[in-house]
Amino acid sequence: MAETDNYKKTGDPNNYFPVNKSYIKRKKIYNRIAYGFAALAFILGAFPVFHIIYSAFIIGYKYLNWHFISTLPTGFPIGAKGGILNAIVGDLYLVVIASCLAVPLGIGSGLYLSLFGKQRANSIIRLLNELMIGIPSVVWGIMGFYIFSTNAGLGFHFGFSALAGGLTLGFIMTPIVTLLTEQAVHRIPASYIEGALALGATKWQATKSVIVKAAMGGIFTAILLGVLNIIGQTAPLLFTNYYNTGTPTGITGPGGAVGDIAMLIFIYIHEPSRILHYKAEAAVVVLLFFVFTLDIGMRLISWLTVKIFEMF
Amino acid sequence: MTDINKNNIDNITENNKDEIKIEVKNLNFSYGDYHLLKDINLFFKKNSVCTILGPSGCGKSSFLRTLNRMNDYTEGSKLTGEVLLDGKNIYSKSVDVVELRRNVGMVFQSPNPFPKTIFENVAFGLKIHGIKNKQFIVERVEKCLKYAGLFDEVKDKLHKNAFSLSGGQQQRLCIARAIATNPSVLLMDEPTAYLDPAATATILDLIADFKKFYTIIIVSHNIQQAGRISDYSGFFLDGELIEFSKSGDFFTRPKDKRTENFITNRF
Repeated sequence: MAETDNYKKTGDPNNYFPVNKSYIKRKKIYNRIAYGFAALAFILGAFPVFHIIYSAFIIGYKYLNWHFISTLPTGFPIGAKGGILNAIVGDLYLVVIASCLAVPLGIGSGLYLSLFGKQRANSIIRLLNELMIGIPSVVWGIMGFYIFSTNAGLGFHFGFSALAGGLTLGFIMTPIVTLLTEQAVHRIPASYIEGALALGATKWQATKSVIVKAAMGGIFTAILLGVLNIIGQTAPLLFTNYYNTGTPTGITGPGGAVGDIAMLIFIYIHEPSRILHYKAEAAVVVLLFFVFTLDIGMRLISWLTVKIFEMF
Repeated sequence: MTDINKNNIDNITENNKDEIKIEVKNLNFSYGDYHLLKDINLFFKKNSVCTILGPSGCGKSSFLRTLNRMNDYTEGSKLTGEVLLDGKNIYSKSVDVVELRRNVGMVFQSPNPFPKTIFENVAFGLKIHGIKNKQFIVERVEKCLKYAGLFDEVKDKLHKNAFSLSGGQQQRLCIARAIATNPSVLLMDEPTAYLDPAATATILDLIADFKKFYTIIIVSHNIQQAGRISDYSGFFLDGELIEFSKSGDFFTRPKDKRTENFITNRF
């Protein structure tokens, strides 16, 4: 090596760098191995997603048409003819009801956690939230059944309905929105809030006119991930909403139950009918399409909101 | 240490007591078990520039933040002693923190404009104090940007995002924002730490100009800067005020060996 040569030439010990040639060779190999493992992990991790999309598409493709998403299921067994409009409408009901509960609750407690709370109380609330995310969804279903569907709990007695199902899903969504909102606010530089406070702003003024605007993108992501999480839930709906092959007549009581794509897939796959199996796979494609559209749509809205808020 | 301070305070009070803007008496500040500021006694004269010097972690920033109660939100912190602003203790219960911070502006180490337009950044301080008169806001924003020497550079893009400005411009925007609420004291926490020499020079010129209107307290670890712009200089070490005197004396005839070591770069 050049360095060693220098040493030999000049005899200056400061001009000498002991090069370990075999180590340099080894470290390059380690680098390749690490890269290989990372790439392998990615491929293995991404494989199921592509498999789901591929298999659902090749099995269900012949039902993927406008008719499928614009008509109610008919025929015998029910669904053999017609589409899945009942489930699409039902998902809309459920997402709207759940969001009405989870968005204000989640954003509120997320802001409280990151800006107002004391450290010890915060760690307890955070722990509770993480616990809530860990609760199996079927347990949420049982809770929803007692509280909302029957009159055993708080006397709500909404029956098997969109309201009972949506509120239960809202409770599943709340901790996700809370924790992600807190993280979004946490990413905002502390200097923003300090700058506002130093001008004489109250904490609420600083929050509403600086922090929330700066964290808007992250808060939208929090809502998005919450919605994406509940849109695929089936177990909580088993006890609170179940399924409706038509459109609902209300949101509570008899006739208040709604369809749901995830529930529809669950029910169709259980039926001993090949057509329904195909239709279930087609519904998977529709669900994935909705998730994808929702994702893009929310990103667009969040981007636009950030742009608009910058003006004020 | 205490002797030097006492002498100084006595000198001033004999001359004219009204000239004192801020007086700090027996200030102790601790965070958890860590005693950050120990028995600080000093005063700041009206319409003067004072620089607080000291190595990193000596408590000089914490000291600055006690002057507008920015440490209030630090959990586990404890403060004893008095800070008298115009003869009134800012830590007494009757003091409105919002009004205090309107009166004592602060500029931070790194430029921290809000993610808003240039205009809205300066107008923010007015709006949060309930000013709704649009004409007044427009005039005040323009005036503050002119004071901060920024107006000519940004007059065509007032409604563009503040992040489109360079670092030095952002810091001058922050200064404009701080003076918009018409404070009488300006606290600056190493305002030029992240700026290049040209931008630093602009800000230092501003500070020298601002002496007419404000009492300015700067925290810095740049000794040359302090010598250039300040009337008074103080030296903090390990939470103690080692020396506080007129800049002329401070830099040429430091009374304490440790101050001398610091200003001759022996730390």
